[in-house]
Amino acid sequence: MTVLAVSSLAKRYRRGGKPFAAVDDVSFEIGRAETLALAGPSGSGKSTIARLVLRLIEPDAGRVDFEGADFLALSGAALRARRARIQMVFQDPLAAFNPRVTVARVLDDPLRIHGIAPRAERPRRIAALLERVGLDAGLAARAIHEISGGQRQRVAIARAIATRPTLIVLDEAVSALDVSVRGQILELLLDLQRQERIAYLFISHDLGVIRAVAHRVVILDAGRIAESGDARAVIANPRSAIGKALVAATPRLTRNRP
Amino acid sequence: MTALLSVRDLSVGCRRDRAEAPALKGISLDVKTGERLAIIGESGSGKSTLALAIAGLLARGAKVEGLIGWKQSSLQSPHSFAPPSVLPDISPTRGEISSSAAGSPHATPAIGESGRDSSISPQVGEMSGRTEGGAVERRPFHPRDNPLLGRDIGFVFQDPSSSLDPVMPIGKQIAEVVHTHLGLSWPDSFAQAKTVLDRVRLPDPEAVLHVYPHQLSGGQKQRVAIAAAIAAGPKLLIADEATSALDTIVQAEIVALIRRLVAEDGMTLLFISHDIALAATLADRVAVLRHGELVELGETDQILNAPRHAYTRALLDAHLGLDAEPLLDRQGASA
Ligand SMILES: Nc1ncnc2c1ncn2[C@@H]1O[C@H](COP(=O)(O)OP(=O)(O)OP(=O)(O)O)[C@@H](O)[C@H]1O
Ligand SMILES: [Mg+2]
Repeated sequence: MTVLAVSSLAKRYRRGGKPFAAVDDVSFEIGRAETLALAGPSGSGKSTIARLVLRLIEPDAGRVDFEGADFLALSGAALRARRARIQMVFQDPLAAFNPRVTVARVLDDPLRIHGIAPRAERPRRIAALLERVGLDAGLAARAIHEISGGQRQRVAIARAIATRPTLIVLDEAVSALDVSVRGQILELLLDLQRQERIAYLFISHDLGVIRAVAHRVVILDAGRIAESGDARAVIANPRSAIGKALVAATPRLTRNRP
Repeated sequence: MTALLSVRDLSVGCRRDRAEAPALKGISLDVKTGERLAIIGESGSGKSTLALAIAGLLARGAKVEGLIGWKQSSLQSPHSFAPPSVLPDISPTRGEISSSAAGSPHATPAIGESGRDSSISPQVGEMSGRTEGGAVERRPFHPRDNPLLGRDIGFVFQDPSSSLDPVMPIGKQIAEVVHTHLGLSWPDSFAQAKTVLDRVRLPDPEAVLHVYPHQLSGGQKQRVAIAAAIAAGPKLLIADEATSALDTIVQAEIVALIRRLVAEDGMTLLFISHDIALAATLADRVAVLRHGELVELGETDQILNAPRHAYTRALLDAHLGLDAEPLLDRQGASA
């Protein structure tokens, strides 16, 4: 079943007075419990696509169908209801919060705004969410500046799954994490995907990470799709010039394995 | 190989939230002349603190113990008029000198700044009295022996904007480094600026002389920052996460650039990174830091293939390479 279908999406900006296409004729689909990765050099349009899918910005052309409905045509209550089912996790999403805000407050917001649980029930829900992402329920009372970067990213994931989404957009969500923590967060994402059947639009500049977690990959160059396909097949044998350049530029650990 | 500099029992404490958090705990290592040494570690490991301490860039409030000793001949005389590639060795002796207490309070990392007059540190650290290579001549601290940022040490930061002046044309910024440290005339300094911009492979260096930092991409700005760092012909180049903000392709280009410049000028390189795979593509030796302590230091080949410390092994295992077994498979999941 298709969760998200994007077709002929286009977004233009102006640079130095001249219009240019940040996203140009981009089409792809993501199925239930599937991870589609977006790769490409800086400025290739990855984050712009994320913002278009989340409807944080409006496209100049193209369609976004989410759960079978025309997402761009929705408004008012219908849009709000549908929006709860697309969530996002960015590089350090809690950095935007007041650092004194508690973990409980961060998780209370979506439950309240989307009317998911009445006030009396929310503390129990928050504890369950924390446990679901591998954190101690006691962390709820802590301020977000008191917890580690890895814990903060787990809280961001807990916040994203609070509304039981079918799609999470992850834009460089593990890029700022230490490698030891990164592996655990990726495992958590895979575990949630299997349990809750969540689809991921997974943006990363790191082909190693993409290869580890994504089913399919779309490689972008200057706003256009250069190539796409099975993640491992594309990375093993890139056909586009940009795909080849990205693979060639990825550092390799040359260990003499026994 | 002789040591360009020796770090002995270096401890640095940084005040954070009123508590004294040790950023470095008793670090001892030698940086050999002409080698490419990578310092790797995760956040909070102290790798940047070590780089800043060596460059004399630690914040004034930092509590520093220990010693950073420099080989005297690695320091240029003030206003040496020699072109950067043929700097004379001031002293032919092998004697090492304790040139500065770690953390002499150079105030800002601005390129072209002459931190000399303000850099006389009252807190000379205690000497251990020994180095790897043998005896150390114990000499009184003297400001002339202080390595100077820009002249003896080129420093490249993660964010090139932090070392570039947003309202000064690129050419002027680099010419200033040359003028200040090599004492060349302004026309000669501008000519030298154009030469280094050409060396870092910026297209049309003549035009780049006149542009401002904001008109350049992140990768181009980092090339300019590298040009400024090497303009006065330093013996030591320190790159602190210099490619971490760049995309993979630009990162590979900048690493190739650093490799070439270090080889051409016979510079010593300190390459600070969180990425063990990236560091290994460049380094002769790798030092692994964790929680402010030196966990392991060895030849790159030994670190990769026969790591002695479990933490080094864990870092290697956590690397997601293009040949690693995908996590998807390990979990047996499928769409
Ligand atoms: N609001 C905006 N106004 C003008 N130009 C924009 C705007 N947002 C993005 N752009 C431009 O659109 C292009 C695509 O940007 P985008 O952020 O999508 O790239 P990206 O692939 O996410 O890059 P990175 O890997 O650096 O995050 C870039 O050239 C960018 O400068
Ligand atoms: Mg982006």
